[in-house]
Amino acid sequence: MTDLPIDRRTLFGLAAAFGVASPYAAVRRAAAQSGRKGTLIIALDISDTTTLDPARVAQYSSPMTVHACYDSLITMEPGEYINVKPAVATEWGLTPDGKSMRFKIRQGIRFASGAPLTAEDVKFSLERIIHLKDQSQQYIAHVDRVEVIDPQTVDVVMNDPSQPLLTILAAPGFGITEKKVVEAHGGKGIPGAKDTDTATRWLDQNSAGSGPFRLVGWERNQQIQLARNPHHWAGEPGYQRIVIRHMSESAAQLLALRRGDVDVAFNLIPEQIATLGDSPDITVMRALSLDYLYMAVSEDAQNPALAKKAARQAIGYAIDYDGIIHSFVAGQAKRPASFLPIGVNGSTEEIAKQVGFRQDLDRARSLLKEAGLPDGFSFDLSFANAAIFGVSYQLIAQKLQADLARVGIKANLAPMDQVGMRTQFIQGKLQSCLTYWNPPAVENQLWASATVNRVAQRVHWTPPAEIKKLVDDASAERDLAKAAAMWTEYQRQMVDAAHLIILIQPVYQVGVRKTVQDMHLTAAGWMAEYAKARPA
Amino acid sequence: MIQYLAGRLLITIVMALLATLVVFLVANTVPGDPVLAFLGDVAASNPAFVADFRAKWGLDLPLWDRYWIFLTGLFHGDLGQSIASQRAVMDDIVEYAPATVELSTIAFILSLMVGVPLGIAAAVWRDRLVDHVARVVSLIGVSAPTFWLAFIVLAVFYGQLGWAPGPGRIPSFAFPPDRVTGLMLVDTALAGDWELFHEAAAHLVLPAIVLASATLGLITRTTRAAMLDTLGRDYIRMARAKGLSRYVVIVTHAFSNAVIPVITLAGLAYGNLLTGAVMTETVFAWPGLGRYTFRAAVALDVPAIMAITLLVAIVYLVVNLLVDLSYALLDPRATRR
Repeated sequence: MTDLPIDRRTLFGLAAAFGVASPYAAVRRAAAQSGRKGTLIIALDISDTTTLDPARVAQYSSPMTVHACYDSLITMEPGEYINVKPAVATEWGLTPDGKSMRFKIRQGIRFASGAPLTAEDVKFSLERIIHLKDQSQQYIAHVDRVEVIDPQTVDVVMNDPSQPLLTILAAPGFGITEKKVVEAHGGKGIPGAKDTDTATRWLDQNSAGSGPFRLVGWERNQQIQLARNPHHWAGEPGYQRIVIRHMSESAAQLLALRRGDVDVAFNLIPEQIATLGDSPDITVMRALSLDYLYMAVSEDAQNPALAKKAARQAIGYAIDYDGIIHSFVAGQAKRPASFLPIGVNGSTEEIAKQVGFRQDLDRARSLLKEAGLPDGFSFDLSFANAAIFGVSYQLIAQKLQADLARVGIKANLAPMDQVGMRTQFIQGKLQSCLTYWNPPAVENQLWASATVNRVAQRVHWTPPAEIKKLVDDASAERDLAKAAAMWTEYQRQMVDAAHLIILIQPVYQVGVRKTVQDMHLTAAGWMAEYAKARPA
Repeated sequence: MIQYLAGRLLITIVMALLATLVVFLVANTVPGDPVLAFLGDVAASNPAFVADFRAKWGLDLPLWDRYWIFLTGLFHGDLGQSIASQRAVMDDIVEYAPATVELSTIAFILSLMVGVPLGIAAAVWRDRLVDHVARVVSLIGVSAPTFWLAFIVLAVFYGQLGWAPGPGRIPSFAFPPDRVTGLMLVDTALAGDWELFHEAAAHLVLPAIVLASATLGLITRTTRAAMLDTLGRDYIRMARAKGLSRYVVIVTHAFSNAVIPVITLAGLAYGNLLTGAVMTETVFAWPGLGRYTFRAAVALDVPAIMAITLLVAIVYLVVNLLVDLSYALLDPRATRR
């Protein structure tokens, strides 16, 4: 290649003068044609977004953007969280030796750049995650490498094939990136990438995926701008642009939604949702989440009463669960039996009714007698000075205090700062606390192994070998019906041990203007699907 | 004069650094661990991952080493790495400070332009209608909680009447201008996008009024008190007796002597506006430093908190210095000591 007759600075100056240096220039021209109607504007608190590099995504709000820009090998459809569905891969299955999962790649997928998506891109994307050793890598620690069989086929080779893979690969963090583009911006899919990969800075402002949209800009705590990918394999998206506007205050979101300055408001609290009932322009979309608020009760020696199983069970039978769900979230919630949210394999409302806790004050009192504590006992209940699902922890703690007092159990409320509360919980220093869980991927094993390993440590519980084996067996079981029975049994045993008492599994409630069609909420971790959304 | 300035600068820099030391020690003695809170549940429970993360961000070093690194970093303009935002604190400040500076400056100008004339009028027509109006306005400004006022103003003028644009710096539909200074009015002007310039100016109105309200009350009351004090002096009576016009008496003779306490207060108020806009920024979705500070404090993001402490100290230092220098300009007696 010959040298350019002019130097780079002059070139940039010229470019700026003609407006091509602006990252928005091309999109601006396209948007001018489609207008406000072709733009979907979303109000969302994005203050937790620290990166939009799929290989490093770990926070709460960023997966929505990443999922809109990148396709994963497989996906989950809204409302269906047991069977995975094809996305980049059309079929998959274990190889004859049982050590690898083989994926057939869909023909004709093109990246937003127009280049075809091949097995090389899949290998690069997954191996970049492996070698970056960031948080996403923790979930595929059992994947050794990816082998390209032919341009449309890859083998994901595992060290431990009994560990779950498919459900995890559906998460946005495992989206397929375009090797050539990411490498051109410093991306590395080889050992040592942890220290040598420099692509994140570019991937924070641009995307290199095959998803329905592509990232054209992100200004922290202000907005994320997406433009449609005309090459998307599932058809051209209905919106020309998506703008995600940062609004941390729910009341501001409500005002903007009512005035039509935003089309979708994600962070409305139950009281605000209630005011939308009579609006002619706005509907409330609902989807049962897979998140939940729970109370952890520790066997810590600081409080000998809590070391007794019957005393912990008494707490479980003294709580007015229906009252909590009715008064705090206007009934828009469910309650699973234990750590598996309703909607995943082996957890339904029916099962929760059969094996879960319910309010039964007589039973609570007799359990207290059985524990040798007929007059009750007292314990510390810690919680953060914060709100969850629009409800302050303080209010929930006060309700629990009142419920438990009816059987003579005294809960001493201990409010503390969020960081302090989480630190002390992880370090196992709290007698009991209120906290929440939202899944990084829809995989039973992620929940269940937590309860018998790291969360068990936090509540000073040594789980019997039997329950650990049950978790391992259920995770490895490929027959979903058999696995479901095992997960039900696991939940029964967890309720019996009574360390984790689930209180609220909320229904997401999102305000959406009626001009938006075919947008779907999902609980799988990325909030919503925009590929088919279109203006009315 | 120069010696005096240098001495003051030195003392204030030492004070600012002492402030960061106090913040550093306090933040490191509370039981919370920002790393455990930042990492996801799986990573936070993996001791190897946590240790690696600490090493990467220099959080595994002894306390004094970390403070020393902070101090030496300062000389290179390096404020350290934020745990919560995962990048240099300097990048964060450069990103968020312009929004706050723009909003605070407009609010400050607004409160001076309304507060000073209102205070003068209230003093001149003491106990008349204008004085009562000024009293009510300043009382509301000083006593109404910012958070509440911000909501009411937004709900009425945006939500109900639709006279003002909504939260944010530009319309939700618009593309931001290319970032040059980070000041929206300047950047839109530089880009020659006058339509967006007007939009940006319109978006400033409500938050600036809310932010100005508290300062406005203080400035009005202080101006009134200072004016009443000077209007009662013999030289004013003398000036009136000489037959000077009312305007000359009030503005030239009275106000120029009453201006010193107003300037002092205005300096403090500007410092306050720059550092205390958390509530206004939250309600109006304004991507500024106030909101950043709040989040840093909640996340126990020690490097960010220390940088902000230092920045606040420097802002007050500079503002105070300017106030002192302005005395010399406005009142020649101040230099004759």
